[in-house]
Amino acid sequence: MESTQELGDEVLVTLCQQGQADCFEVLVRRYMGKAFHIAYNFTRNTETAKDLSQDAFLRAYSNIKRFDGRSSFYTWFYRIVVNLCLDHARRSGRVTWESLDKSAEEAGGQRQLVDTQYLPDQQAIAGEATRRANATLESMPNKQRTAFLLRNQEGLPIADIAKVMKTTEGTVRVYLHRAVAALRHSLVEFV
Amino acid sequence: MENRVAPLEGACKNYEEDLVLYYYGESGAAERAAMEQHMAQCGRCRNFVDDLGRVLPKMAPQPELPQPFWDSYFRETMAKLDAHQARQSWWRGWFAPLNGWLMPAFGTMAVAALAIALVLDKSDMVSFIDTPAPSIPAEVLVDSNQLEFFKSLEILESLGTLEELDASKPEPKTSDIHNGRTAPAVA
Repeated sequence: MESTQELGDEVLVTLCQQGQADCFEVLVRRYMGKAFHIAYNFTRNTETAKDLSQDAFLRAYSNIKRFDGRSSFYTWFYRIVVNLCLDHARRSGRVTWESLDKSAEEAGGQRQLVDTQYLPDQQAIAGEATRRANATLESMPNKQRTAFLLRNQEGLPIADIAKVMKTTEGTVRVYLHRAVAALRHSLVEFV
Repeated sequence: MENRVAPLEGACKNYEEDLVLYYYGESGAAERAAMEQHMAQCGRCRNFVDDLGRVLPKMAPQPELPQPFWDSYFRETMAKLDAHQARQSWWRGWFAPLNGWLMPAFGTMAVAALAIALVLDKSDMVSFIDTPAPSIPAEVLVDSNQLEFFKSLEILESLGTLEELDASKPEPKTSDIHNGRTAPAVA
């Protein structure tokens, strides 16, 4: 017999809907990393990202019977995560990016936007570029930021982002282009 | 990769949006071929795509979390789910008798009861409106009861007349007072 670990999302969801709550554990294991990463991208805070992504699992579990299978489970679930993150952003105001700078520094500068292997002044420029890019990302309209984070950070195809955001693929393309253009403009000074 | 400080160069205006999609692998086969053909001739657009590849993967990095974090994350999530399930069971226990056909029946009865209450309440209000209100409020009645007091004030105004009458009248004798007799009434 096939292990529940190997079952597809749709089968697991159907089993959950039939009352096999333990199948939801498999979905939690499968999506906890993605859910946490999405929440972290929006909040830049480990504890908040953990709480929001866990809350998303609770909501998904509560509403699992309403999932009608018209979209894939993960686009449905990502939508829950994104909505919780946007609600949190609305409630709490600005995102704190200091933690990002800290994590970049902890990683030995490898994550800075420009390569700075040799010159200290180049490291300073790279640090400033990173901060500027992050500030631009923070100040973006929510829809642009969501499209950008889901494509750039999570690697979702535009078709799936459109489902998560309940909009058209054309609109997502526009959001994505505007987000990249905004990032480019924020970094023009460093040319 | 070239070690440049300049992060992003602009592309040709007409190609920029398509180049972003090209970078993300979201272009169709025909569009992809057209982009590659253009980039073969345009260094600016080629640099633009190179810069996207250099900068965008490094945007908003994720923290590298150890396995114990994920173990704890999973345990916490399952504990929260169990607690959530227990709360739901408690509520479901309470409302279990209302499941199935009883719920709509209960709803219909509640609506009917509300409608009846509203109709009765309205009729009460009509009877209340039809009842004539007391013509004189209590406060005013209290004032009208004080009418005698105001009349006595009129007597005070003619106090001078009374004094004159008293002066023309003989003083009553002490013995008369003791015998309970008073002065004859003033005509």
